[in-house]
Amino acid sequence: MTSSKKVEKPQGAYIKKGRLYVKAVFTGFRRGKRNQHENTALLKLDGVNTRRETNFYLGKRCAYVYKAKNKTLVPGQKRLNRVRIIWGKVTRAHGKSGGVRAKFRRNLPPKAIGRRIRVMLYPSRI
Amino acid sequence: MSTPSTKAVPTGDKSKKTTTTTTTVVKTTTTTTKQPQQKSLSTLAVGSKVKKPKTTASGKKVVNSHSNRLLSNNGLMRFSRGRMFQRRALYRISKWKDERAKLKGDKTKKTAGSIQKKKQRLSPLKKKSIGGERNGKERLVRTKRFPRYYPTEERPKKFSVKRKKFSTHPRRFRSSLTPGTVVILVAGKHAGKRVVVVKHLSSGLLLVTGPYKFNGVPLRRVNQIYVIATSTKLDLSAGKFDELDDKFFKRVRPAKKDAEKDIFDTKKEKPKLREERNQAQVNVDKVVVNAVKTHADSRLLRRYLKSRFQLWNGVLPHKLQF
Repeated sequence: MTSSKKVEKPQGAYIKKGRLYVKAVFTGFRRGKRNQHENTALLKLDGVNTRRETNFYLGKRCAYVYKAKNKTLVPGQKRLNRVRIIWGKVTRAHGKSGGVRAKFRRNLPPKAIGRRIRVMLYPSRI
Repeated sequence: MSTPSTKAVPTGDKSKKTTTTTTTVVKTTTTTTKQPQQKSLSTLAVGSKVKKPKTTASGKKVVNSHSNRLLSNNGLMRFSRGRMFQRRALYRISKWKDERAKLKGDKTKKTAGSIQKKKQRLSPLKKKSIGGERNGKERLVRTKRFPRYYPTEERPKKFSVKRKKFSTHPRRFRSSLTPGTVVILVAGKHAGKRVVVVKHLSSGLLLVTGPYKFNGVPLRRVNQIYVIATSTKLDLSAGKFDELDDKFFKRVRPAKKDAEKDIFDTKKEKPKLREERNQAQVNVDKVVVNAVKTHADSRLLRRYLKSRFQLWNGVLPHKLQF
């Protein structure tokens, strides 16, 4: 492979990327009946129904992806984009039925309640 | 069980032992020699104990009335080293006597216990001859000069030598990530691609290759946390990858040329891949592709490495067996 020629990328490089995150829903903030604490978000992960199953997801990064009116730079892309992300991570389980607590760099906006959150597969521990 | 004293037993004794054990009732221990295994006292570290057999021949524990103990809370012992020496009457042991005699004779040897109390003291003043006619030929001068500077404050303590630099910290690798493992990249440009681990690098990163022909992933460094290990393993023992280390992959920045180049010259030279890196890619891929060919499921493996990992409906990673 000489550097003067243009190296053709093999077929395998062009396969479309699939989903590499687990779907989750932001169900609300951590709260008692009358007080809520917005610094911790509660997530319901797709297909996770017991506390034991949440073990895999502890520490995983999560992202709230949303669009805004003004375009901004997105790291890794040259074009300005409307997509924005609030990053966070899954901190611990919440309750017995597979709920999970997450903390984000900035608190999630309440309009995100009921909306999709992506739980990534990294940092991986397997 | 006792500490077997391998040094002290001469061969003659051993033969005697064997004959007795065959005739009499066999006892499990071999404590014919009661002299414990000792290092010379001069080389004993502070706080170490001279070992004695912990159990007698009948198997009972030996509780010594002369033994030392730790004081609670502190790291201190009840009796100091010198005191223990007295209490245990170690001065009586012939071995110690021999050592002492040796040390007395050999004055150049330094001992930790400082049995030799008198050092050779240098006289504080010495005579120095001085040139020049009218300076008096000799003068008495201090052998060790007074310090030029006496600090008024305590010097700021330097970075403690005990604290290790991060570069010297041990790097640990997950047991599932041995060289030759097929692994799923979970983030980055090549996310979802299945790839082969070539080597562990000393910086804690993994060296990974597609192989390039299969999925377009070159020889690349990857952090362990962005990787899911699968149970598929290849045999890469045929290849030696010694020259592939972090230095090899470090980015080589072009030397700055201030004077010659125009400041307004906005052309950035595109970084070219070194020829040796291309060559390394070819070499490593040869080994890996060979390993795939010789694997039991080679056809399946080839397609496996060419495909991408995805999640879809009903696929739950916490239930997947990677």
